[in-house]
Amino acid sequence: MAPAIVQNISSRLHRMSQSAADKENYTQREDEKTKLAEWEAEKRTLEPNEVAQSPDEKPVGHSSKYLRREDFDLIKTLGTGTFARVWLAKIANRKEKDNNKVFALKILRKVDVIRLKQVEHVRNERNVLASVAGHPFITTMVASFQDSDTLYMLLDYCPGGEVFSYLRRARRFNEATSQFYAAEIVLILEFLHDRQGVAYRDLKPENILIDADGHLKLVDFGFAKKVDNSKNIFGAVLNFDADTKTGETYTLCGTPEYLAPEVIRNTGHGTAVDWWAFGILIYEFLVGQPPFWDQNPMKIYEQIVEGKVRYPSAMSQDARDIIGGLCTVDVSKRLGNVKGGSATVKAHPWFKNIDWDAVYHRRMQGPIVPHLKSADDTRNFDEYDAEPVHRDPYTKELQSKYDQSFADF
Amino acid sequence: MSLPSEYLNERNALEREILKHRPSDVLQFSYNHFSKRLESQRQEFILGQRHSSESGTGLSNPFGGTSAPSNKKVMNSTIREEEEHDDFASPTATSFPPNARDNSNNMASNSSGGGGFGNFGNFGFSPSSGSSSNPPPAASSGAMEHPQSFPNNYNMNRRTSVSAESLAPTSADDSNWKAPQYPKTADQVNRLRDAVAHNFLFSHLDDDQTAQVLGALQERKLPTKDMRVITQGEEGDYFYVVEQGQFDIYVSKSGKVEPGADGMGNKVATNGPGTSFGELALMYNAPRAATVVSTEPSVLWQLDRVTFRRILMDSAFQRRRMYESFLEEVPLFSSLSNYERSKIADALETTKYPAQTPIIREGDVGDKFYILESGEAEVTKRGEAKPLKHYGKGDYFGELALLEDKPRFASVTSTTEVKVATLGKDGFQRLLGPVESIMRRDDPRKNEKK
Repeated sequence: MAPAIVQNISSRLHRMSQSAADKENYTQREDEKTKLAEWEAEKRTLEPNEVAQSPDEKPVGHSSKYLRREDFDLIKTLGTGTFARVWLAKIANRKEKDNNKVFALKILRKVDVIRLKQVEHVRNERNVLASVAGHPFITTMVASFQDSDTLYMLLDYCPGGEVFSYLRRARRFNEATSQFYAAEIVLILEFLHDRQGVAYRDLKPENILIDADGHLKLVDFGFAKKVDNSKNIFGAVLNFDADTKTGETYTLCGTPEYLAPEVIRNTGHGTAVDWWAFGILIYEFLVGQPPFWDQNPMKIYEQIVEGKVRYPSAMSQDARDIIGGLCTVDVSKRLGNVKGGSATVKAHPWFKNIDWDAVYHRRMQGPIVPHLKSADDTRNFDEYDAEPVHRDPYTKELQSKYDQSFADF
Repeated sequence: MSLPSEYLNERNALEREILKHRPSDVLQFSYNHFSKRLESQRQEFILGQRHSSESGTGLSNPFGGTSAPSNKKVMNSTIREEEEHDDFASPTATSFPPNARDNSNNMASNSSGGGGFGNFGNFGFSPSSGSSSNPPPAASSGAMEHPQSFPNNYNMNRRTSVSAESLAPTSADDSNWKAPQYPKTADQVNRLRDAVAHNFLFSHLDDDQTAQVLGALQERKLPTKDMRVITQGEEGDYFYVVEQGQFDIYVSKSGKVEPGADGMGNKVATNGPGTSFGELALMYNAPRAATVVSTEPSVLWQLDRVTFRRILMDSAFQRRRMYESFLEEVPLFSSLSNYERSKIADALETTKYPAQTPIIREGDVGDKFYILESGEAEVTKRGEAKPLKHYGKGDYFGELALLEDKPRFASVTSTTEVKVATLGKDGFQRLLGPVESIMRRDDPRKNEKK
């Protein structure tokens, strides 16, 4: 008999022996599942001060003690990473009316997270997603939970797929489309930096999804990190790492073409890296490829630290100016990081036609609205290989050493 | 009989919109809603078709099909000229008719790619609340090509994130880490310095960091030929400099070493003394791009990523803490938060002066503030025989220049070799706004003059 099955049976026997507690848990689970379905029906975005509430007080973002893997049917893989797989999921044993309620369930094996030295990153990801849940342009973590060897994050499903796919198909976006998407991203960065003190650190078209209404959702917060708490006026409770009090951090992470010069040179970096990456992103939207590229990654980094951006001849002066301001090597001169912060980015002439209040309240019509047959339509996602059968076991040793780190997941 | 799911989905979407906007004229609202839905669905249909007709060209050049033979060289050597050389970079550039500047190669490649990208121009956006703001002009959706100067082999695939080991500065975790130092002769140090001088990872280091990095390079002897130093496809942790001997470099097309006699692929180069390889391993753990094998008994110097990045991090961290503690002592900055002080620390620039060099001259109009990082200096004033004051490490001067444009009251001259950190008035204002308003935050007590 396969070890997994043995384990499954034994854990079931174990559970049956605690039937009284189990019954109570069952009620709680059913209650949670009902709430999940209710949330999915409306998908209400929260006002900024609601988002800032503790995850236990808002409808989304809490760590659930009751939800289990068996509460969900995994329909199809939506994406894979080095240590995670995201599934389209529906509530198991659902009522007929909940058939169109869909989620994205991100599944991480503890053993892989440890092997790839991503424990801190995964903890950061859960904590940041919990504290930003409800923002209109950030993926909503409805709940997180875990079992003995696996971590789960239940997210909202964005049926439009990645901006990356649309961009590669279209080769480049016209200026109006680029401005629309860039405007929504400015609001994300403003919120993360000014309200949350969080640096996102992996901005790129692959991490931006399009929702059913054509608006953006930023996903994959694996590298997001609290770097500064001085401006969090709502006083959410946060764990301080040794180096988070001063607004800088040192771990190199991101995507080669989007790395900021200070990350490459390891001189300490903060939220300014996102403004650099934002400049690269606008460039890639307008041109179809990022400004610094070579087949040899070391040559990319050499170009980045030199920081000389070349513009195609027909790029508008405003676009050149905003990209040049954002992609400034000297962080003390970089647009977005100077006095005024994100407000100076929003006031830039390239955004002169943007009504920022209309953007936040999603009153603008998105340039691409996905056409979908049904709520669980996955046509905008690529096909992925099935999950490998072989799995390293999460041993007792690893468990005793690391489970504490996952305690509040 | 159940309704089609497509219909239910549309209906639900409309209901969500109605709940959200609570329109007074439901019929008009619904009409607008579906008219928009229809428009975007048709556009997406077109996009989908374009996609299917493009399948298989995932690696094509977004700038067109020109394959300039020396493309890489062009890329690297004309970076600086690009902007000045840009014949069409006039303010009116965006009003050129689309494709007016394209050469025929580009046109051909665009049409073979399933229609020009101009098709995409119809994705304008407009406020759905029916306000009268105009959509931005549909500028520059065409004529973006600059065929001669962009690399035409851009990899269009999804890009993977990278990350290195998580590091926390030494003084923050109390472990008192010190970079290992391996003894070397002066000749060896000089050779190493030359070997890494061209590498941008090393050329940005200051003297102190360079000394630490060179000291941390460790000797590794390879007693025979045919020893593999690095293997293509395997994890990379070390960077190497060749001290003695010869190494052959092989690249296998599959990205890793295959079993069998020719498994390492083709020999692409031979490296001798003074060359280096494996530098990407100093950034993060990426699979090795080649296999390197000794062809005779050889000697290498090696350096691992964690050591290298810790040296960089610790010195950056310590310098920053030093600047911040200096800044804390300046009364002018007493109302700043830690975060603001750390921003100023970011903007400080280090300058070195030899002994007996004037740093500030009496009577000049000053625009900079100075902190003495190391060395000594003295203050003199015309008509005074003796120096008015001596400055040592951590002392600061010239801060009034951030406030007012008055001539310097006295001269400051280095008495030993000195290192000063400076901040200009413009830099300060860029980061934090006018100094006056920063000072007004504090109680109105006057800052004493130095």
